[in-house]
Amino acid sequence: MKEKYYDILVIGGGAAGMAAALAASEAGAKVLLAEHASLPGGVLNRCIHHGFGLGYFGEDLTGQQYAARFRDRLAHSPVDVMTDTSVLRLFPDRTAFLSRSGSLQKIAFRQCILATGSYERTMESIPVPGTRPAGIFTAGCAQGLINESHMDIGERILILGSGNVGQIMARQLVQAGKTIVAMIEQNDRPGGLPRNHRECLEAYSIPLMLHSTITRILGEERICGAVVRNLDTGQEQTFSCDTLITALGLIPDRSLADSLAVGGTWPDWLQLCGNCESIHDIVDSVTLAGERAGKAAIKGEI
Amino acid sequence: MEHTDIVIIGAGLLGCFLARALRQYDLSVTVLEKERDVCTGISKANTGIIYPGYDMAPGTLKARLTVSSCRNFPELCRALGVRYANRGSLMVGFGPEAEASIRNKWEKGQRNGVEGLELLSGEECRRREPLLAKGVRIGLFSPDTCVVNPWELGIAAYENARSNGAIFRLSSKVMAIHRIRNRRAGATAEMFPTEQYRAEATAEFYGTEQYRAETPAEHSGTEWPLKFIVETAETSFSCRCVINCAGLAAGDVHEMAAPPSVRIRPTGADYILLEDFPGMTPKMPPDVSTRIHSRMPLRHVIFHEPEQKRKGLTLVPTVDGNLMIGPTEREPFENPTATEAEGIRWLREKCREVVPDLPTEPILRTFGAVRPNPYEVLCENDRWIPSGRKLFDFNIKEEEGFFSLIGIKTPGLTCAAALGEYLTGHIVDFLGGASENPAYDPTRCPEIRVSEMTWEEREQWVQNHPDYGRILCSCRDISEGEVRDAIRRGAVTLDGVKRRTGIFMGRCQGSRCLSDVLLVMAEELGCSPDEIRKDTAGGIL
Repeated sequence: MKEKYYDILVIGGGAAGMAAALAASEAGAKVLLAEHASLPGGVLNRCIHHGFGLGYFGEDLTGQQYAARFRDRLAHSPVDVMTDTSVLRLFPDRTAFLSRSGSLQKIAFRQCILATGSYERTMESIPVPGTRPAGIFTAGCAQGLINESHMDIGERILILGSGNVGQIMARQLVQAGKTIVAMIEQNDRPGGLPRNHRECLEAYSIPLMLHSTITRILGEERICGAVVRNLDTGQEQTFSCDTLITALGLIPDRSLADSLAVGGTWPDWLQLCGNCESIHDIVDSVTLAGERAGKAAIKGEI
Repeated sequence: MEHTDIVIIGAGLLGCFLARALRQYDLSVTVLEKERDVCTGISKANTGIIYPGYDMAPGTLKARLTVSSCRNFPELCRALGVRYANRGSLMVGFGPEAEASIRNKWEKGQRNGVEGLELLSGEECRRREPLLAKGVRIGLFSPDTCVVNPWELGIAAYENARSNGAIFRLSSKVMAIHRIRNRRAGATAEMFPTEQYRAEATAEFYGTEQYRAETPAEHSGTEWPLKFIVETAETSFSCRCVINCAGLAAGDVHEMAAPPSVRIRPTGADYILLEDFPGMTPKMPPDVSTRIHSRMPLRHVIFHEPEQKRKGLTLVPTVDGNLMIGPTEREPFENPTATEAEGIRWLREKCREVVPDLPTEPILRTFGAVRPNPYEVLCENDRWIPSGRKLFDFNIKEEEGFFSLIGIKTPGLTCAAALGEYLTGHIVDFLGGASENPAYDPTRCPEIRVSEMTWEEREQWVQNHPDYGRILCSCRDISEGEVRDAIRRGAVTLDGVKRRTGIFMGRCQGSRCLSDVLLVMAEELGCSPDEIRKDTAGGIL
C-alpha cells in the first residue's frame, strides 16, 4: 500500500483540531486534518446558543458561527481536510490507518496532534439502580438530536447533574415550551460556569435541587419517573417525567493515545490538545490550546 | 386461518433453535413472537457461559445435554458463524465447605463424563490467576468452558432457521390455544367449520376435571386426530403440534391448553460490566475465536464457591473483552430487570474478597436479568398453588402434541441447540415420523465485523463495499455497513441493531453515535427518525 506523507497529522476537526491544523499550516507544514463527521466543527455544530468567541474574536457568536469562521479559514488554507474519515489506529512507526467510505489509507507523518475531544460520563457508569427504559439521554446527545437532527425528545424533563451542557439544554428546552421538572445536583452548588448559572438557571427559574441524587429509575418501556434522595436528610421523593437528561461531566477521549502508551507515557511525536488533554470550560481557550499545539509540533517540541 | 404443521410460541434462544432443528424435516414451522424482534427476553441477559457440565446431578437430562453441548459448542459456533471464546474456567474455594463441594463437583464431573477436569492446589490457582486472593485453597479447572454473547447465538439460530424455511411472525402475541379432537375418526379438519371447533375446544378444555378423565390412551393420535388452533390478535393458525417456548410467560401459555403443572417464580439478578481494558480489544486481532487479551486481568471464567451454600460470585471475561461481574440472586422488585443498589454493592464486596486487586472501575454499565425458576404447582380446593418444590431438571411437559418448556434456566443457553434436537425427536415421534428435508443447511454466513478483519481483508472489503469504510462507532470500531446489514437482517429497533452489531455497547453507550445511527435506520426502514424505538414501544433511546 502506498503511504501518503504529511508533516503533521491532526486527528479531530473540532475547535482544537481546526486551530492546530491552521497554526501548523501557517508555519509552513504540510498538514492533514482527519475529521470523523461530514462537517468540521465538532460539538460547536450543535451549539445554537450565544456566548462563543468573546475572548478570541471579541464578539458574541453562536457555536455554529464560531465553527463556520474556522471552516472558512481552513477552506482558504493549504490544509488537507478529510471529512467522514476515522483514524482507526496509530502505530509507533509514525503511521496511521484511516478509514472512510470506500477506502482505507495508511498515512505517514512526523508529528501527530490528537484533538479527539471528550465523551460524556453516562448514567450507566455511576451506576443508578432501576430499569433501563427509553427516554434517557446525555445532555450532549440530546443537544445533537434537537439541534442537528431536529428531533423532539420529550415534554417533562428531569436533569441529573448540572454541568454546562445540562444548564444550556435546560434553558433551550424551557424556551421551546418544555417543562424542566428539576435539575438534580449532589454538590452544594451547581457545576459549570457562573455565567451559565446566571443566564440559564436563574434567568429561567430552573428548579435546582442541591445535595440530591437519583436513587432509582422508574418505567418499563419509557422512563416514567425517578426517585430523588436528599443526601442530607435521606428523604426520598418521586418525580414523574418522560425524559431524563444526564449532565454528569466530560471525560477526555484518549483512546487512540492509550493504545500507544508504554508504561503510561506516549511517544514524543504525539501531542494532545483541547478537551482530550484536559476539559475546558470555554471554546476560546480550546482554540488557543490548539494553536499552541500546532506551533509546538512544527518546531518538533512538546 | 393459516395452516402449519407446528407452531412454536416464543422466539427466544429455545424457540429459534427448535425451529432450526425441526426444519431438518419436511415439516412446516411457524414461530410466533410477541415482541418485534427475537431474543429480547430471558435470552438476552445472562452470564453467557457455556458450562462444561460438572455441576448437574448425574443421570439427569440436564447433565447429559450440558456435557454434549459444551463438547459440541465450537462446532456449533463455526456452523452458525458466531463468535465465542474458549476461556476455560476455574472454580475456586476458600474454606473447608467449599473444598468439599468442589471435590464433589469433580466427582460429579467424572460421572457425567466431563473431560479435562483438574483439581488444583491454591498455589496452582494463583499461578494461573494471579489476581485471586491469597486464601484460595482449592480450584477446579475445566478447559472447555466457553463464553458467547447469548443474543448473538440466538439471532444466528433465528437467521439459520429462517433461511431453512421456518416462518417467524413477530409482534404476534398468542391470545388463546384451542385443542380440537375430531370425534369422527378419519374426518379431516376442513370438514368442520371453525366455530364448531372452537365451541368444542372450549367445552373440552376449560373444565380440567373433564380433561383429566380423557387419557391419551383412549384418544391416541391416529384414531382421534388431534389438532390445535392458536390465536393471535390478527390471525389464527391450525397446526398438529404446539410447542411452548414462551420464556417467562411459559407457565401462562401452558395453562391456555393444559392443566397447571409448573409455574415460574422469577428472581432477579444484577450484573456489572466493566469498561474495556485499554489495549484489550486490539482493532484487528488475528483470530477472534481464540484470542485472550494480553491485558485482560483475568484469563478464565472464575466461579467462586462460597461457604455455607451462600451465593458465589462469577467473573466472566466476555467475548468483547469486557469483564462481567455477577450475578446476584434476589427477589424481584417491581420489575425483575431493574438493578438494585444493594446487589451492585454486594458484587463489589465479593470482588474485594475473591480478587482484591481487581479494579472494579470504570463501570461500563450495570444490568438486571431474570431467572425463570420453575416450581411445581398442586391443586388444593380448586386453587392451584405452588408446592414450594423447586424443580432442578429441565421441565418438558407433553400433553398430546402440546409441548411446554417451562422454566428452562441455567444452563439453558448451553443446551439451547441440544434441547431443540431433543424436542425435535419427540415431536417427530409424536407425529408418527417425518421425511427429511433434503435442502436443510445448518450453516450461516457470519456477519462482517470490520474490527475483526486483518488490515488486508478490511481494505479489500471496504473497496468493494464502501459503507463499511464509514465508521459510526469509534468506541468499538463499527461501520455504517454493519448497521445497514443488521437492519436488512431484521433489526427494527435500536436495541436490535445493538445486539446484532455491538454498537452502543462501548464506553459512550451510544451518546456519540445515536443521531447517525437513527439517520441510517430511518433511511433503511423508510421511516422518520422519530418513529424508531429503543426496544419495544416507548420511544427512542
